Amino acid sequence: MEASLFSLPFLLLFLPAVVVLFALAPARWRGPVLLGASYIFYWMISGKLLVYLLVSTLSVHCAALWLGLLQKRQKARLQQAQRDEKKKLRVLFRHQQRRIVLAIAVLHIGTLAVLKYSSFLAGNLNSLLTLLHWPALSLSFRFAVPLGISFFSLQALSYLLDVYHEKIPADTHLGRLALFLAFFPQIVEGPICRWQQTACQLWQPEAPSFQRLTLGIQRILLGIMKKVVIADRLNLFIQNLFDRQLSDNGALIALAALFYTCQLYMEFSGSLDVVCGSAEMLGVTMPENFRQPFFSRTISEFWQRWHITLGTWFKDYLFYPLSMSAPLKLLTRHFRRKWGTHASSLLSGAMALLVVWCCNGLWHGAGWHYLFFGLFHFTLILGGSLIAPLGTRLTATLKIPVDKLPWRLFQMIRTTLLVALGELFFRANGLALGLKLFTQMIGNFSLTPLLDGTVLTLGMDLHDFFIVAIALWIVLVYSVMKERGKDPRQLLTQRRIAVRWAVYYGLILFIVIFGAYGSGYVPVDPIYANF
Amino acid sequence: MKRCSSFVFPLKPVAASAIFLSGLAILLLITSALFVPKNNLAEFGMEEIGANGILGEQDHSIDVLIIGDSEAYSSISPMEMWQAHGFTSYVCATSAQQLTTSFAFLKQAFRHQSPKVVVLETNAIYRKVTMSQSLMSRLESLFSVFRYHNRWKSFRLSELLVTPQYTWTDDFKGYVYNTAVEAASPGVAMQPTDQVEAIPPLNREYVAAMAEFCRQHDTQLLLVSTPSTLNWNMRRHNGIAALAQELGLTYYDLNLDNPAGIDWSSDTRDRGDHLNFSGALKVSAWLGKTLSETFPLNRQYDEAIVRRWNEALQRYLTVTGQQS
Amino acid sequence: MEKLLRILQDLLPQVDVKHDQHLIDDHLLDSLSILALVSELEEEFDILIPAVDIIPDHFNSADQLWALIVRLQQEG
Repeated sequence: MEASLFSLPFLLLFLPAVVVLFALAPARWRGPVLLGASYIFYWMISGKLLVYLLVSTLSVHCAALWLGLLQKRQKARLQQAQRDEKKKLRVLFRHQQRRIVLAIAVLHIGTLAVLKYSSFLAGNLNSLLTLLHWPALSLSFRFAVPLGISFFSLQALSYLLDVYHEKIPADTHLGRLALFLAFFPQIVEGPICRWQQTACQLWQPEAPSFQRLTLGIQRILLGIMKKVVIADRLNLFIQNLFDRQLSDNGALIALAALFYTCQLYMEFSGSLDVVCGSAEMLGVTMPENFRQPFFSRTISEFWQRWHITLGTWFKDYLFYPLSMSAPLKLLTRHFRRKWGTHASSLLSGAMALLVVWCCNGLWHGAGWHYLFFGLFHFTLILGGSLIAPLGTRLTATLKIPVDKLPWRLFQMIRTTLLVALGELFFRANGLALGLKLFTQMIGNFSLTPLLDGTVLTLGMDLHDFFIVAIALWIVLVYSVMKERGKDPRQLLTQRRIAVRWAVYYGLILFIVIFGAYGSGYVPVDPIYANF
Repeated sequence: MKRCSSFVFPLKPVAASAIFLSGLAILLLITSALFVPKNNLAEFGMEEIGANGILGEQDHSIDVLIIGDSEAYSSISPMEMWQAHGFTSYVCATSAQQLTTSFAFLKQAFRHQSPKVVVLETNAIYRKVTMSQSLMSRLESLFSVFRYHNRWKSFRLSELLVTPQYTWTDDFKGYVYNTAVEAASPGVAMQPTDQVEAIPPLNREYVAAMAEFCRQHDTQLLLVSTPSTLNWNMRRHNGIAALAQELGLTYYDLNLDNPAGIDWSSDTRDRGDHLNFSGALKVSAWLGKTLSETFPLNRQYDEAIVRRWNEALQRYLTVTGQQS
Repeated sequence: MEKLLRILQDLLPQVDVKHDQHLIDDHLLDSLSILALVSELEEEFDILIPAVDIIPDHFNSADQLWALIVRLQQEG
């Protein structure tokens, strides 16, 4: 089976089979049914690489239990201890626990590094050696990467860190942890869940109901529409500009960057619609990974609305621990006297942020252009908060109504354009090509190709533009409703059956007829499953 | 945690789902009828018109059906066999054809034809069929809108409600004419070995299903490997030979001992990947002889069929330069 | 408490910091301003706020923050 949530075997065979089994199973068997289904799913896609998942699960389970044991012992000892001994005891136990966490973290991050980054590192090492006129080493690494390793590793670490910080108790039930890490729709493209969010409801899901089933199917259909009608239809144009470089015109490259941004969003959020919809059918509510990101007014807000679960992971397990670490706190305190609170916390924040964004960039893949992508957003966010006071003063003096639609619209478009600029480097195969496309975009900008019809010869004709526009309009209406706090799917369930069925039939036929599949369309691999 | 004491059959949801799905099926059938090409020509939205030219042939006029990928349409010319042995045949081959497509062509052919022999070119057997392709092909055969949906771009309102009528026939009967020459270096591909290239399980199932289909229609299914130094080797030969034995099929490998007399310096158009016209002449001569000697072919055709095939033959001979 | 409200008001001039219950959930406090807030609080109240305690439940309202400060002062 392909590692795609949009593949027919998954949507037409696997998922329905699991849903039926789930509905028929007695309540206490529902968790085990999901676990079994998840391992079968993993096996069908990655085969023997299932070992990675099992090792991760077992190691984290044991480590967490050990932490729990130490914590219990610590409490017992603390009760008996004298006041002056207590501090010493705390440090002792803290160190023991820290060593366990460190070992597991090294295991996970090390595995990730070897599987995904070794060839990148070896390549860079060789470039360096060549630069120094030393003989290059003949290193070549190619590892089969197990499905979803970037996702379940982060979940495993978050569980362990939460136990370490005593936010949650170590779970004695291996099955619950196993399912938390392996849950089949989620392991492909996220979301990256926290223990408190999904673990317990996965093991004891809500009873299946027809209502949940139809809600889930609605969401899946919406996701399929985003992917098959919009993302895949844009793909030809994007390939022609980015891979075949059929044009060096700036306007067309800018359009391709915008289209790619759109494709990425439609595909990624579409996948997550399938994930959340599937989970919904199975009685589980997943955390949302997107909150209408293109309605963001700043880049910083964009990252609170886009790939939310990755952002919060980095924030909670990297950013705060780093910026709250002793050295950085010392630094902040030192500069506070000279610069004041805002500037000094900005400094330590910036240093932590830099680390976060390097990791964020590299999480997406081993390549300098991914690192560049991370640094690009780091610069924008830092720059944004540096000039924020300036901007406030400016809008105040110019008397711009900051909460009115025109200004918000301006901010949204500005944010979207900046994001698209970042995606240009993200999509370009290598940093050199990204820079080349960027200079072409700026230096060779002319609107002629958009007016003389050249734009219609690059993989998308007028019909394609028309259909994409209609589908985007549907998504826009849906997003605006969600932004205003209404749930379109809930609203639909309150309508008469004729209306509901008309919407379902319409959506299905829309996908079947206007989907970009079949002759002339090569199936597009999911973009985020490779991360 | 609540537990249900007894299982209640969810009648209402199940009934609603059943009605919903039936409605969906009807809608898909209607759109399929709208989208299906109304003639077997490219301007009507028909794809692969060479292979689909068989739709324009008179009912029950084709004796031998040949299916496969580009190896098949490059190696076998039905008109040569008609001229030499007087039996009709048609090549329903498409480039990079998957077994899903082969099976679809087989089923389509038997709707209006009753061939006595079906030849499956074996290269397609090694093109891995994925579960997705298999499912999609099933959907396509149920609802043709899955196959022809991209026609919405070139839709004409006037043709929406017309019943399909296939009027076009191919003078080459599916053979793709090519005279380029790019010699192959004599390969080492057919050196004896006991190794076997495994056939993917789903592909095996497809061949078995096709064999069963032919058995039900009282037709011989033949496996034939046409000459190709690039695509064929002994490991594949062994794989197909084992499969043929298992399914009780006859298997001919023209790469083994070169019965057709292929000269790799002149008979290939792309260094051993595909045969050119000169190669196709040899393979067609061999296949025509083998088929007419081994299998009871009809060869009793209506006058109209004979006349049309002979007219097509004249045009074929003119184009291929065998007659001015 | 007055001191806390003053600090918050400095940081978020446009917000009704006394009554707002969703400082984090509504994204009024972003990560950098939380850093500023934390270092300010640590100095003013002479406490140490560990990274573990930086969770929405502690920062969503002035009341919650106050509870955190009181707790840390007692533990300290």
